[in-house]
Amino acid sequence: MKNAHIVARFDEDLSKIKTRILEMGKLVISQIKDASAALERLDASEVDRLIATDRRINGMNKDIHNRAERLIALRQPVALDLRQAILPINMAGELERIGDHAKSTAKLARKLSDAGAGEQVMRMVQEMSVLLQTMLAQALIAYSHSDIKLAAEVREADKEVDRLNKAVFAAALQAIRQSPAEAEALVRLILLARNFERGGDHVVNMARHVHQIVTGEDLKASS
Amino acid sequence: MTRPFIAARGMNVFYGDKQALFDIDLDIEANKVTALIGPSGCGKSTFLRTINRMNDLIANCRFDGSLQIGGQQVYDTAVDVVALRAQVGMVFQKPNPFPKSIFDNVAYGLKIHGLASSKSELQDRVEWSLKSAGLWDEIANRLDQPGNSLSGGQQQRLCIARTIAVQPKVILMDEPCSALDPIATAVIEDLIDSLREDYSIVIVTHSMHQAARISQRTAFFHLGRLIEAGDTTQMFTTPREEQTQNYITGRTG
Repeated sequence: MKNAHIVARFDEDLSKIKTRILEMGKLVISQIKDASAALERLDASEVDRLIATDRRINGMNKDIHNRAERLIALRQPVALDLRQAILPINMAGELERIGDHAKSTAKLARKLSDAGAGEQVMRMVQEMSVLLQTMLAQALIAYSHSDIKLAAEVREADKEVDRLNKAVFAAALQAIRQSPAEAEALVRLILLARNFERGGDHVVNMARHVHQIVTGEDLKASS
Repeated sequence: MTRPFIAARGMNVFYGDKQALFDIDLDIEANKVTALIGPSGCGKSTFLRTINRMNDLIANCRFDGSLQIGGQQVYDTAVDVVALRAQVGMVFQKPNPFPKSIFDNVAYGLKIHGLASSKSELQDRVEWSLKSAGLWDEIANRLDQPGNSLSGGQQQRLCIARTIAVQPKVILMDEPCSALDPIATAVIEDLIDSLREDYSIVIVTHSMHQAARISQRTAFFHLGRLIEAGDTTQMFTTPREEQTQNYITGRTG
């Protein structure tokens, strides 16, 4: 922010909310990464730790909510300040849901025993995971630097996630036809890809919130 | 956009050599509350006082440009300033009832402007004014008591009753709640909202939140210039000018 508030505590409170979102986002990225790695190795040993971390993420969501509520009640922000107080509540909610998807991903490592015929599908799912992590990292940078151009790039990148989701569906369907015995595992991978696709949508929402904080324009309302 | 009821164009005001307002173009719409905001010395009160020519009372105060109310030039030499001030009433920061009874405070303007032809008409109009100002129920049985025996909030409502008794078109308010507690302030704010059905109200306030709560239009002044004017919702959500944003969010710069 170019100009500081006359009341320095106001700036501190706003910046704490921002810091918490960035910390939460970083943790969610590492969750997606670790959950995807556990799934790829079909290693269930990390699952409990990842579930515990998800509880921490939920707690951070609550903390951000409380901080924003307190700031609104005590400082009665307007204009840019109001958006900086309200939209992080939504952003934390999006992060919390991405965190839930990561948890489901990790849990799947317990259920799948061998990728087998689904190897190609698994590769695409992993590709989606990497894309999602990159998009989320960029959304956080866009938020941190009030960079609406980067936020627009994040929204654009989601198209690739959607494309991969469709490709996973097609490939899994074909694999099921060839190896009906592996149908269960392949259906689980289809559902997992849909989780990542949903994750992409949550990141897109975050990028929209960044745009709204900076410009005041609600892209969802105008789309 | 509705036709402005008050229109300032290229308005400059000077106190001696010092220029207080620079080239102001501002429209005040009818039946709306327009809030004038800005830091001390920004010219908002000067602007308010030009509307009913209160600045005429200040030696060396000079006006140029155009200011029209309902299409009539306010600074035309033919304008009867006393009649103008009946059309454009004013409520001040500190409640200032006359040292008279509650009844006489309200009846005063009606008498000097000859607006009541009989005693019963005078009584009716005093009652109507006190009811419109939301004060009647509290004082109906003590109209003969001195105006200054009322509480601060009641005194301010008495001043509003006195102003609307002569049925002005415009009510100017210069920080009308700054001397009042939050409850009395809320009562006045509610009253202002109901009065706008019949009057155009221009209010100077130092409280951003009061401006946001009670006005439909907001104008932001800084160093004698009008920086931005617009719908209050827009001004408090997405102001166009950075200076406005800095002021309403309490930032330096």
